[in-house]
Amino acid sequence: MKSTKSLKRRTIGDYVIPAILIIWGLLVLFPFLSVVVISFTSETEYIKTPLLLFPKEPTLESYKRIFEDGRIASGYFTTFKLLVMSLPLSLFLTTSFAYGMSRKNFPGRKFIFYFVLLAMIFDGGIIPLYMLMKDLHLVPNNLWAVVLANTVSTFYMILMHNFFKALPDSLMESARIDGAGEWRILANIVLPLSAPVLATITLFYTVDRWNEWFNPMIFLQKGDLQPLQLVLRSIVIDAQMDMVKTGGNTIELASNFAMGVKTAAIICTMLPVMLFFPFLQKYFVKGIMVGAVK
Amino acid sequence: MITSLTERTQTKKFRNLLISIWKYRMVYTLLAPGFIWYIIFVYGPMGGLTLAFKTYTAKGGIWGSPWVGMENFKYIFVDQAFIHSVVRTLEINLGRMVFQFPMAIVIALILNEVIFLRLKKSLQTILTFPHFLSWVVLSSVLITILSYDGFVNGMIKAFGLKSFNFLGNEPIFVPLLYITEIWKSSGWGAIIYLAAISGIDSEQYEAAAIDGVNRFQRMFHITVPGIMPTIIVMFILTMGGLMSTGFDQIFNLSNDAVRDVAETLDMYIYKISFQSAPDFSYSTAVSLFRSVINMVLLLAADRIAKLMGKDGLMG
Repeated sequence: MKSTKSLKRRTIGDYVIPAILIIWGLLVLFPFLSVVVISFTSETEYIKTPLLLFPKEPTLESYKRIFEDGRIASGYFTTFKLLVMSLPLSLFLTTSFAYGMSRKNFPGRKFIFYFVLLAMIFDGGIIPLYMLMKDLHLVPNNLWAVVLANTVSTFYMILMHNFFKALPDSLMESARIDGAGEWRILANIVLPLSAPVLATITLFYTVDRWNEWFNPMIFLQKGDLQPLQLVLRSIVIDAQMDMVKTGGNTIELASNFAMGVKTAAIICTMLPVMLFFPFLQKYFVKGIMVGAVK
Repeated sequence: MITSLTERTQTKKFRNLLISIWKYRMVYTLLAPGFIWYIIFVYGPMGGLTLAFKTYTAKGGIWGSPWVGMENFKYIFVDQAFIHSVVRTLEINLGRMVFQFPMAIVIALILNEVIFLRLKKSLQTILTFPHFLSWVVLSSVLITILSYDGFVNGMIKAFGLKSFNFLGNEPIFVPLLYITEIWKSSGWGAIIYLAAISGIDSEQYEAAAIDGVNRFQRMFHITVPGIMPTIIVMFILTMGGLMSTGFDQIFNLSNDAVRDVAETLDMYIYKISFQSAPDFSYSTAVSLFRSVINMVLLLAADRIAKLMGKDGLMG
């Protein structure tokens, strides 16, 4: 397809189409850019010109405030704790189950298929889950409630299962003849071949944990156990409150530049995604290619 | 004579089954950890849905509360707030199907026409980026730029117009939902279609090039039919979410001023579950109702797709 295209003369459309997409891309990026700019702007400058595209005197004042506040740091700590607790467990459960499912001919294969299918299409809802966590004494302030509620994503499990199923059977068969057990085969043969899909799944789980906020909001009611997303939420709500108190008039907020603090908190929350995403995007795309295309 | 023969084949079958279970015993140990997790944390709550047929008492919990049969469900259909929320949900989702659903396809088709490969890669990265941020972050960003002293109103004022209330304005709340969802997820959705496009046989394009077809003919006669199976799968999945509007987006973007238009089924369930005077058994009944409708719609859409001779979800 590429060769036939390059033989052809380029048309106006070949330039108009990218131009349209570049404009669209700028529109997509613009809100983030605006937030970055405000977070580095001083209050006096922002009040003069909210249309700023670049601060004349960039300042770290808002970031200083947000760190003095301390909630962002504690949010980072909690979110990291959640990741450390959940990632090994998620990966262990997902890979072992996916590999088990990808074996052929074992009795009960059909049953496992429908078992997983029902888990995917039917949702018990939050109340029974909440009650269960309560019965397990994981509510109101135990991070394990958040970890266990979402340990395995059926979607990622199936993605991994599809990958395993596509591996050549002969590799595993010869190991089996040599007397290796399935766990050994998984650890020594299958996993080393699965680096790309493992990377993808790890990234997916990490991002999902990073962004998770509903379950923590329901399960964690103590202030010092709030993950980052909930911290951001409460900072933004506080900022709104400040605005309401002063009738939306920022000039009165001499001691507390709500807009600056809020934007700095947003940037802190999305920083890891912002920094790593451009380099990792291809892994996400690969993952969806393995999973979504039948 | 005959019975003993069938008996014998049956015992033989049973023995074979046991032998093959023993043979695959390692597979079951692989499945066991995940299976146990599913049983406790997915099927456990599903069993907990029996609460929908009980009246919740704090002492009894899910399992010990007394049964009331269909009592909770009788109340559902006379509950005006519930009916209102279902109508809102269907209205919003109909709009999502019309405005949001095709956007990912459109972006994929346009991206596919970009011949500068590095630019195409960068555009893909930019357009998929918002998908990887939570609605907490995205709504905070939106509130920042759309508020009275935000950038957008700054621009409006610069043109000498009066500042506009974007966030607390009932008539524009729903369009705002569509636009912001397109912002977040159409780029990522496009990636799925692009993957499907890359699977189309390139000979078709070569033949078309020789026949001298133009860009639009190529798009609508080769690319779109080529990705039709993927479009159908995505549509079936959308149907399976017809009773859900995406709680995260609406919860984070809405405020008291738009409470009425924002009260979808998800929001209503949240309200009766966790806000003042929660009624656990009633809210469980409502959420069971939603899950059942969603599942029936998913299976029905899948069945219809298969009847029309297309591949459904499960091949």
